[in-house]
This record gives sequence, structure tokens and C-alpha cells, in this order.
Amino acid sequence: MARVTETQALEIADRAVVEATSSGADAAEATVSIAKRFHVEARETVVSKLEQSIAKSLHLRVFVDGRKASLTTSDLSPNGLRGAIERTIARAGHVASDALAGLPDEFATDVPTLELYDRHIESRGGDEKIEETLALERLIRGADARIVNSSGSHYADASSVTAIANSAGFAASYASTRASRSTGPVAVDGTVKRTAHYGTAARHFAELEGSAAVAQIAARRAVELFGAKKPATMRVPVIFERDVASSILDDLFAAISAANVATGNSWLIDRVGTRIGSGCVSVVDDGRLEGKLGSSPFDGEGVATRRTVVLEEGLLQTFLYDTYYARKLGAMSTGNSNGSGVGANNLYLEPGTASLEELIAATPRGILVLDTIGFATEHASGTYSRGARGFFIEGGELAYPIDEFTIAGAYVDMLAGIDAVASDLRFDGGVVSPSFRVAEMTISGN
Amino acid sequence: MLDGIVEQSVLARLIDRALRRGGEFADVFCERRNTQSFRLQDGRIHEATCGVTLGIGIRVIAGESAGYAYSDDLSLEALMQAADAAALIARGGASGNAGRIDLCLESVPSWYGGDRDGRSDSARYVTLLERADVAARAFDSRVVAVNAHLAEELQDVWIANSDGRFVHDRRPMITLGVQVVASDTKERGSGYAGDGGRTSIAYFDACSPESLASDAARIALVNVSAIPAPAGEMAMVVGAGGGGVLLHEAVGHGLESDFNRRGTSLYSGRVGERVASELVTIYDDGNLPEERGSLNVDDEGVTGQHKVLVENGVLHGYMQDLLNARLMGVRSTGSGRRQSFRFLPQPRMCNTYMPGGTSTVEEILTSTKRGIYAKSFAGGQVEISKGDFVFMVGEGYLIEDGKVTAPVKNATIVGNGPEAMTKVTAVGNDSRLARRHYTCGKGGQYVPVGVGMPTVKISSITVGGTHTERGPRD
Repeated sequence: MARVTETQALEIADRAVVEATSSGADAAEATVSIAKRFHVEARETVVSKLEQSIAKSLHLRVFVDGRKASLTTSDLSPNGLRGAIERTIARAGHVASDALAGLPDEFATDVPTLELYDRHIESRGGDEKIEETLALERLIRGADARIVNSSGSHYADASSVTAIANSAGFAASYASTRASRSTGPVAVDGTVKRTAHYGTAARHFAELEGSAAVAQIAARRAVELFGAKKPATMRVPVIFERDVASSILDDLFAAISAANVATGNSWLIDRVGTRIGSGCVSVVDDGRLEGKLGSSPFDGEGVATRRTVVLEEGLLQTFLYDTYYARKLGAMSTGNSNGSGVGANNLYLEPGTASLEELIAATPRGILVLDTIGFATEHASGTYSRGARGFFIEGGELAYPIDEFTIAGAYVDMLAGIDAVASDLRFDGGVVSPSFRVAEMTISGN
Repeated sequence: MLDGIVEQSVLARLIDRALRRGGEFADVFCERRNTQSFRLQDGRIHEATCGVTLGIGIRVIAGESAGYAYSDDLSLEALMQAADAAALIARGGASGNAGRIDLCLESVPSWYGGDRDGRSDSARYVTLLERADVAARAFDSRVVAVNAHLAEELQDVWIANSDGRFVHDRRPMITLGVQVVASDTKERGSGYAGDGGRTSIAYFDACSPESLASDAARIALVNVSAIPAPAGEMAMVVGAGGGGVLLHEAVGHGLESDFNRRGTSLYSGRVGERVASELVTIYDDGNLPEERGSLNVDDEGVTGQHKVLVENGVLHGYMQDLLNARLMGVRSTGSGRRQSFRFLPQPRMCNTYMPGGTSTVEEILTSTKRGIYAKSFAGGQVEISKGDFVFMVGEGYLIEDGKVTAPVKNATIVGNGPEAMTKVTAVGNDSRLARRHYTCGKGGQYVPVGVGMPTVKISSITVGGTHTERGPRD
């Protein structure tokens, strides 16, 4: 398939901005992404899915007399694009005029490459990727006799270009890559079946965790909870393993997103400058970490990304803003526009120095949570509640597996209750956390 | 030409091209979806959005393997390249078995409502949002924020395959959602109500934005005054309508045929077996008028159907798409769905519901000594292999001595699908479908679904709150 180029994306973005301003927009901004994608799924000895495509998409924002409308389209034909832009501008006529709506005042002045692109990902042949994925499938089945099935092993990659242009004369682009491998072994013990999942993702192929390591961790996860008991209802210290910890950071992001703060959907409204976490809670958003998945030189509206300390030793320093919500709440953009609202860049909890094993050893009695199901549906009150599984800890050791229980509390108590943070941070996504321990939470079981 | 998108003859050429390296089956999914939405916040229309999804996906099936490629570039050259990429899955090098196929458009009956010409009047939409805002604010002085959203789409799909099937479906969808945040001096809480369906804006003549707004405001206020949910095992009474999320999570996903063909579901190989209390019957239906999950044809061109999943506690069958049905030696049940042309189809639910039983709601509540009354759920999730599920209560109350008492805050319910289904001890006579606003995610693909349920009692389940009656450390 053809290579995708930044020039191609910039041309489309330019064309859309010109079309919008000549159709009546006072200001316009176009973001174009073109991605070449590959995905293979293997199961047993069979390649069960093979997907390859080039996807283009345009996101356009127009402002007409303070009225904002946006368009997302995959139809980039001249007639199709013109018609869609005209419809979008007509819709803007129904929007209330808002003096705060508009393009940012300042744009990125530098566009560092940030090591986001790995030539190797595009040059690797399909057969090599397929062979690796079949090998991953063999590895999980070889790892434990109880692994008799799988929901599939995957390798996926994408090579993308992103370009932005606006009517204020700003235009910039960058290239990036992403690769991931993952596997989902199914283990059977008696009548109980368990599916586990483990994966790795990175901008650079060489930074992916190797197939053997991925298979080993996935296989361990599939078998380690056999014989799990439902625990009693009680209050105990809880250690969240890093993947679960990352999902809690996702919930924290929802509360610090200025878009949610401004619409009443955050439990952190009016809390900037106050203590909301223990002294071990320092949270940073950094869009300029080299080679990381949440990095980009500029955000969704062309504002330079940066490093923002959100929580410093428990003290809430700031929310994360795009231009509109910054103006609304009397702040400056933190370079966190995702094009249509506020998004995280690399948002992470600063790691501590102890390993997860050391954290467990320092916990006389408690639980280790390895996996949760459920998700936050309500950010106004800040209540956390999930189904969970993991291990009961006794005398600093994993005593026995537990499942079919829930874990609940208020985020405010959880953050204040974090009394230890591990060193095991990995950047396999945009919002990540090392494992941490909360001094006491309610678990609900028998 | 298919509505100006591509020549009809191109579809046949793509199928032919896709099968030239071998493979038993190929299909082409051509999609154009136009969406528009308006969002209200702070008492005024904040933003309008438009969307166009236009492209073609080409699939080749060879044994249990599927090759897929799509293109949003509709030039013949780009489409042929996509057909070649999809063909790579077939490695035998044998010539295809399609030959030249003749595509003749078949007509299908429609389950959709409203005016289907796709024209829309933006001014009417804006009025609906503003009415919702006024009603929510008038509901109570503790209402501090109202966020409302109205989205409309019209999706045209043309599906052609190497068996000669060729169909077109024009699917409307409209959704009005109102989210309200309420606050007293100490507590904040939010509530949501949404409705709509595969119909037009005229739906909101009968279902008024005021009724949605006051429901959302009422739930937000309930959550402000709610006490911490109890923790531990107790009885649960699931409310009619929105309680159907329980069926969707606890049973529905486990009966999708991909998990069952692969043997990764706990329901694999159990057709004919008892999997639930004999009070439990569950249907999945693609043919309910105007419901979100209804489809004249699924995304593989198969006509939507009424499926019996569980009858009187016995497992009847799975929800099938073409690939899994072919490999399991059965017919598709019209359950092949995809988010857009960018995705391979998967077996999915349409509208999943339980028909009514014989108990009255009063009988069910008064027979419950201590428990939780989950009137509606805000969402749920299931783990397919072991069957463990959770769902998040949207509006919940304590039941004490047969009476509904204090509202409880954000409880999560955790259970095991088959275990919970064997503990169904009463089924109400008040079965109804929920308000139409549910969307289901699977494998990264989101599709609209419907759920429905009578009031149902489950004798024991784990409620995940923070309030324990046995003291802080036991």
C-alpha cells in the first residue's frame, strides 16, 4: 500500500480551511489524520483475522460570529467536502453566540519530532508480523497445561500523519507510529474457565515487551486465580496493581478535565489549591515525553503541549484545559485539547521506589487487586465502586486468590488514603500509573 | 449508481476480485452515514456537530479466517487495492469460486418509524433542547447544571455478497439525552434520562423533553439525598424496563456465537441444558418497531429476527453471524453487526428482553425482607468465560421489611451469570422495554441496543457499597 505523507495531510487541511472561510466562517481549523493500519489475530495455528487499510479523516471546527460548529468526515472528495462544510456552517446558525469561542491566541512555536515515528514499523513485512503472532499463540499454550484455548493473540500497528491548519495562518504536522501485541489465553480447571489478557504497546517496535514475556504474564494471569474464594465483607488495606491503578487515574482525569468541571460533572469543583491526596500523590501531565504514546508536539487546536503538574504531594495545582474551558474558568490552556474537548496527554502518577513485591511484603493483612470490571458512570459525586479479583494478603504474602467481590469508596478518601506508591510505572498508554496502596477501603463479599 | 456513491457493477467486480486467491465467501459493505447533533450547556446551545462516514469494506472468508480491508477513497483503483488486501487471507492460490455474480437488489420489510427522507429541521431540535433545560431547572432549586444533547443520524448501507445477496437498508436514529447535576450544601449527584430510537424527531411529540428532564432531575436529587449503599449479600429486586441491562450482561453476551464456537464462553456446548430458573425466558429481537437495536437487515445483509435465547430456564440457541453460523453448521440469526465500514462484523445483541411473568410488583416487594431495589442501571460489564458480571445502579433504594425506603448511592452489583439466573425467584407481570438510549461495546465496536425486563427478584446477590452492618473490622 502507498505511503502516507505529511504533505498530503497538510494539503487537505489547507483546502478545508479555505473552503470554510470562503463559505462564511470567520475562523476555521482543520485537523487531518491519515493512518495506515495493520492487524493480525491468530488463534491456535490459524490466522483468524488479517486487516489492512488506509484511513483518512478530517475534523473541522468553524466559528461564525462566536457560534461554533464542527464536522468529522471521511468523505474528502471535493463535492462531498464542500457540501458537508456548507451544512456545518448552516448548523452553526442555531448555536448561541459565545464570546469565548474561537481559535487559541497562541500556537506552538516549535514542533519537535519527540521520537514519535519508527521507520522500522512501516518497513516490517506482513509475513513477519503474522509469524510472530502465531508464535505468541504457541507460547501461551506451552506455558501451562491448563491453557487449552485462547480468545486470540494479536499484533497491530499503525503509521500515521497528523496535520493541522487554521485561518490564523498556523500549520504544522508530525508523523507517528504505534505498535501493540497482546494475547488472551483461556485456562480451564475442572468446570471453571478463565480468560486473561495481557498486552504491550509503544511508539517504537523495539520498545514492545517481547512475545515470551507477554505470553508468560498472560498465562500466569489465566491460571493464578483458580480456586478463588469470595472474601468476607470488611475494611482492609488495598493494593491496586498498575493496570487497575491506571484505570483509577483515568477516573481522576475525568475529575480534573476542565470540560467536566465547567459542566458540573466533577467532584473537584472549587478544590484547586487544596489538599486532595496524601503526600505520596504527585500527578503530572506531560505531552512532550520522548517516544511516549500520549506525546505530540501540539494539541488538537495547535497549542504547544507541555509538562503540567496537576497534583504535587497531594495538593491540587490545576485542572487540565483546552482554550475554551480555560477562557471560561479564567485560566490558560495547558495544551490539552483533543480537538473536541479536553484530553490527557501522558498523565501519570509519579512512581515511588519500592517494587510491587516489596509493597506486598510490607502489608501484614490486605488485598491485592489484579483486575476490576465495571466503570465510572457518575463523576459529580466521586464515588468509586467496581467488581474485583485478586489475592488476599496475610503476613506480607499472597495467601489465596479471591474473586466475586466489590470494592468501593469515595475518590477523595482513596487519594487521601494512598500510603505507598510502587516503582513499576510503564507507559503503555496515555494515562498510566504504578501500583499503589490505599490504607483502607470497603470490600463487599459474603 | 448507489445514491451517487459508486456504480452497482463495482460491487460485483470487487467480490470477484476479492475471491481470486481463493476463499469460500466474500462480501462488500458500502456505508454512508450522515449525523448531526446539538449540545446544550449553561442554558444555551453550545455547539453543533456534523459527521459523514463514507466508505466501503471488503471481506473474504476462508475457513475460519477472515481477511478485511476498507477504503474511504472510492476510486476504482483504491477499491481494487482494498479487495487485494482482503484477499491476502486466502493463501491457497486457488481461483475463486464466485465467477461473475448478478446482483439484484432485494427488498426487505421495515421496522423503522418516522419520516425516512432524511430531511431535518434544526430549529425544532434546538427547541427540544431548550425545553428540556427549562423543565430541569424548574424542577428544583438544587439543580445546578443541565447538559442536554440531541443527535440524529441516517445510515445507508448496501451489502452484497458472493452468494448473490444484495440489499439496501436506510436506518434512521434519533436520541435526546438530558443530564442534570444537583447539589445541596454538602452533596452532589447527577441523573440522566435519554430516549429516541429508529424514528424521526416526531417521536418527541409524544415523549416530551420535559418528561426526560424531570426524570433526570428527579434521579439527580435522589442521588444527592442518597445514603451510602450497603455492602454484602442480600436480595435484589430489579426494576422493569431498564433492569434489562441485567439480561444483556448476565446472559446475552455469553450467548454470542463467536465465544461459543471458540469455546471461550461458559455457555459453550450447553444448548438444551438448564441454565437458569424455570421462570426465566429471554428473547433477542431485531424486529421490534423503532427500537434502537432493530434492524431490517443486519450488517451482513441477513434479515432481522426474533430469537429465543432461553425458554423456561433452558438454553435454546446462540446469536449467530454468517462466519460463526457457517462454521457451526447453522444459519445466521441476523445478528452480524458492525460499528461502521471500518470494522469486521461480530455476532451481537439487538433488543434483549424478558417477557412478563405472573407476580405483581407489590407481591415481589412485600416478599423481600431486606434488599436493594435497582430501578435502573447506569451500565454493566461481563467476563465471558467465568460469567462474572457487574452492573452499576443508576437509581437504587433499600428495601426494608417489604418496603422501599432510603435511596442509595452508586452501588455496584457483582454476580455470576448462571448463578444469578438460578436465583430468580419471582418474575413480574409488568414487562416493558427500557427507554431507548443504550449502546453496547464489544471488541472496540459500539452499536445501539435495546433492553427490556419485568420486575424480577433475585434471592441473593452481592451489593458493593461501603456501609457494613458488621462493624469496621470483622
